[in-house]
Amino acid sequence: MMLPESVIVTELTITALPPAPLHAVEIWSNPADFSKRCMAALGFAPPSMGQSVANDTLTLMRVEPSVWLAEGDCALLESVLLTDGALTAIGGGIVRVRIAGPGWRSLLMQGGFFNAEAAAFAPGACVATVIDHIAVRLFVESADSCLVYVPASYAAALIHFWEDVRPIAES
Amino acid sequence: MSDGPSRIAPGGETIKFTFDSVTYRARPGDTLAAALLANGVGLVARSFKYHRPRGIMAAGIEEPNALVTVGEGGRAEANTRATDLFVYEGMIAKSQNAWPSLSLDAGAVFGLAAPALAAGFYYKTFFGPAKRWMRYEWFIRRAAGLGNSPTLPDPDKFAQRAGFCDVLVVGGGPAGIKAALEAAESGAQVMLVEQDAVLGGSLHSDPDPAMDAAWVEASAARIRALGGRILLRTTASGYWDHNFLTLTQRLAEPGAVPVHGFAQALWHLRAGRVVLATGAIERPIPFTNNDRPGVMLSQAVRTYVRRYGVLPGRRVVIAANNDDAYRTAWALIEAGAQVLAILDSRSGSTAAAPAGVPVFYASRPAKVTGTAHRLKRVTALVGVREQSWDADLLAVSGGFVPVVHLHMQAGGKLDWNEAAQAFVPGAIDQDCVTIGAAAEPVAASPAPPVGHPKKSFVDFQNDVSLADIDLAWQEGYRSVEHLKRYTTLGMATDQGKTSNMVALSRLAERGHVSVPQAGLTTFRPPFTPVTMGLLAGAGARNAGAHERRIALYDAHAARAPIWQPLGYWFRPRAYPLGAENLGAETLAQAALREARAVRTCVGLTDVSTLGKFEVTGPDAVALLEFVCATSIAKLATGRGRYTFMLREDGMVFDDGTVWRLSENRYLLTSSSGGADRMASHLSFVRNYLRPDLRVSVVNVQEHHAGIALAGPRASALLSGLIGEVPPRHLSLARAVIVGVPVLLLAASYSGERAFEIYAEATQAQPVWRALAAAAEGAGGAPFGLEAMELLRIEKGHVVVGGEVDGRTTPRDLGLEKMLNKAGGFIGANGLQRPALSEAGRIELVGLEAISGEIAEGAMLIGAGGGAPQGHVTAAARRIIEGGSIALALLADGHARHGEELTASSPTRGISTRVRVVAPHFYDAAGERYRD
Repeated sequence: MMLPESVIVTELTITALPPAPLHAVEIWSNPADFSKRCMAALGFAPPSMGQSVANDTLTLMRVEPSVWLAEGDCALLESVLLTDGALTAIGGGIVRVRIAGPGWRSLLMQGGFFNAEAAAFAPGACVATVIDHIAVRLFVESADSCLVYVPASYAAALIHFWEDVRPIAES
Repeated sequence: MSDGPSRIAPGGETIKFTFDSVTYRARPGDTLAAALLANGVGLVARSFKYHRPRGIMAAGIEEPNALVTVGEGGRAEANTRATDLFVYEGMIAKSQNAWPSLSLDAGAVFGLAAPALAAGFYYKTFFGPAKRWMRYEWFIRRAAGLGNSPTLPDPDKFAQRAGFCDVLVVGGGPAGIKAALEAAESGAQVMLVEQDAVLGGSLHSDPDPAMDAAWVEASAARIRALGGRILLRTTASGYWDHNFLTLTQRLAEPGAVPVHGFAQALWHLRAGRVVLATGAIERPIPFTNNDRPGVMLSQAVRTYVRRYGVLPGRRVVIAANNDDAYRTAWALIEAGAQVLAILDSRSGSTAAAPAGVPVFYASRPAKVTGTAHRLKRVTALVGVREQSWDADLLAVSGGFVPVVHLHMQAGGKLDWNEAAQAFVPGAIDQDCVTIGAAAEPVAASPAPPVGHPKKSFVDFQNDVSLADIDLAWQEGYRSVEHLKRYTTLGMATDQGKTSNMVALSRLAERGHVSVPQAGLTTFRPPFTPVTMGLLAGAGARNAGAHERRIALYDAHAARAPIWQPLGYWFRPRAYPLGAENLGAETLAQAALREARAVRTCVGLTDVSTLGKFEVTGPDAVALLEFVCATSIAKLATGRGRYTFMLREDGMVFDDGTVWRLSENRYLLTSSSGGADRMASHLSFVRNYLRPDLRVSVVNVQEHHAGIALAGPRASALLSGLIGEVPPRHLSLARAVIVGVPVLLLAASYSGERAFEIYAEATQAQPVWRALAAAAEGAGGAPFGLEAMELLRIEKGHVVVGGEVDGRTTPRDLGLEKMLNKAGGFIGANGLQRPALSEAGRIELVGLEAISGEIAEGAMLIGAGGGAPQGHVTAAARRIIEGGSIALALLADGHARHGEELTASSPTRGISTRVRVVAPHFYDAAGERYRD
């Protein structure tokens, strides 16, 4: 028996994307200097917590106090780290999943604890959270879609979970 | 027209359902209770202890009597309230606690034994000799419990989700709707939850022209338009700290097949402010046989008449201590019933009774009589004399109890409202307010009950009567908490929603104190019963954990291996071939074949699940020397070494290898099973113990897929693939295999010349295929965990979870010489404790069977018997030579080589004579590692 508040969403799509170059960027000293070097080399300063910045080749997302997730070409970024931080490749262990459609926020709250419906979680925002016991990172691509960075070993299980709960997500 | 319940104006009954295999019809929107009454069914259940006939008493979640089992197979849900269950096409409902039938219930004989089953009888069965209890036990256990749990798995799914709002309004009655609308209009993000299937609450039984159906609909539409969310069939079941609430949302009615497979959803909701508009529950009145079918709560009668178009009785007596019950008289008259009398326990009232309805003040019901199905007669004490009426319905109202459960769960205090004779919400620290009938209950006067205490029921679900409370009092149970546990009052599925205040009043009366002085039990979550599957959520299907899939899963799956769970991972345990798949010895045969391939030729295995961490920065070595108990500082670039890590108390908790990739970049590996624990440990060390270090620690466990290539032909085979000489033992190199960049680490777990080959996980499949093809072309084979176990046991390598069991120090494991002499590592101070060097510690040894097979887990017993002196941690057969060997932890084992013991496993019925030897059965000098 379907109740009125349970809306069937048919437009919601869940798509595993091809591998992309991903790096963890950790800064341990002189964040202000690093920021200036970033600005000079990349045209942007490292974003604050929960935010991202991007240029044509690189997106930098801050999801931990001293760690940024970098997607794209990190050559310039690496050159400005000097001895204030390190770059470590992690892309082999992460599957990017695009959740797109009007119900993406609701879907990401299934099995989760994060308020994906918050107005502040707008395009460009990012966060590290847990969905159905799996540690993930979310990045709002646009008003209609969100990228989820899922540990590769859990990707099949989490995609299956989303496919399962998709019908009860609200648009 | 006959007596008993009936539909006021038949028509529109389009839904078919069954109750106890009889088919009935219902209107859309009927609860099962309404539908049964509409079909003239008065007897719905049998009581728990005495199997007394019970009907429908209420119209909401407080119903204590009308519990049914609904649905079939694994979907069957016992103890479902007929008043909280909306009928659907094909619904199958059954009565409970009756045999062979509801009408002729053999269990009713227990009623005759009522004097022996009074309060606390269960505890009293423990008195006297134990053998007496042995006689009672079977009968008590058979009789215990309400309803039967399904024996099949629940086919439905349960969802859990997060929710957030500025204002949560609990209760969709008029007060709740108005509060939600007001909050939404002020710009707040609102959530309104209602456990009913429709909004309106009391408006269905007490229509208000200013708040008619159109107003409800328009208000709901406005709330939604302003971004609010309205959830029906949703109960706020728990109120926790910091305005965190759990909401139970029914997506399908109990027993029904859910459209999308999900029966319910559990919301984890965080609210800025909570408005409780939870209403009030009507109190029953104690008198003789007050539990009979045909005795109903007054407001419930009104609800059935006005909301469902059902007349619960045609000749009605109303008994009350408040003005609200007079409204019921009006509703009944409007519906064509005859109201024979209003019995008002007060001396007078300004409430208006319908014309022609006699009102008797200072009057209280004394008893009712009737059949199991129908009420026949109501007798009351009118002033000082008894008077009776031939009636088929008695509507009672003993006042109202505000629903303060959530308020109390939230830590709120309760105040005593003398006028209403009820507890109302008091001070609360959380941002929460209670409004409506839950805050301002209708005034009601206390009225001492008349009737026989033994047949005057207080807790209908547990058959607790006034006499039971009196008995408990006489036996010294003064505290309400003791009373509750002694009598079982307020327990079971309704948690005393209709009984608590009646019982407290009796307790106060006996103690000659006020009700607040008598005390109050604590309301705890959940407010109404919650399905266990809902608490488990999606995890109910997989024990709360997803299966982790290794990067090379497809490559392995193509070989149809025997899979082995390893933590959350599944890894190939062995790759049976041909005839190996047919016999009972499949695993052992395949593992031995694979291990022999490694010893004599070459084998490859997936080691992707090993913990892997890149430690980078000027202070990387400082961090590693803090975490690892071996020296790291002298490790040259391009070199690696075995290492292990200690807890603060000096016990080994993991091991692995550490590799210097470049000047300031290291790769640390750790055990597969301990990888998550090691990640947490490193994070704690990095961020809490040593935040001063200029270092980055990144978990790259999944970034690299790992393949171990081992065997006397491994080096040559690898050389052929990379076109150069592979690195020597404990050295590393970077190379390319079939176009994929790889990192080669020369390390061995098997005891043979071996390499761990790491490739980015997304590119690892072709590397595996190339290595497998080369190995198999050379006569080798892939090997699984079982073969790896044979290899490592023979080599004497410890494993986390086996020999590293949380109780062993480096010395116990023979690793003492590897300790960093400079100290300074985690656990170094713990190791200094004298007890860790004293005699009697369990130490790693090898065992050789003198005859027979050594059983894993066997106890080690000395020649003269006595207490176990140790145990077998891992057992295997020698791979080439044959013979049974094992690793063991033995008291003072290092000094006992050559001694003979018995390895005894009573659970397996195996007892074997063994000789204690060094734990290295194969190439103790390590010559086979090197080219």
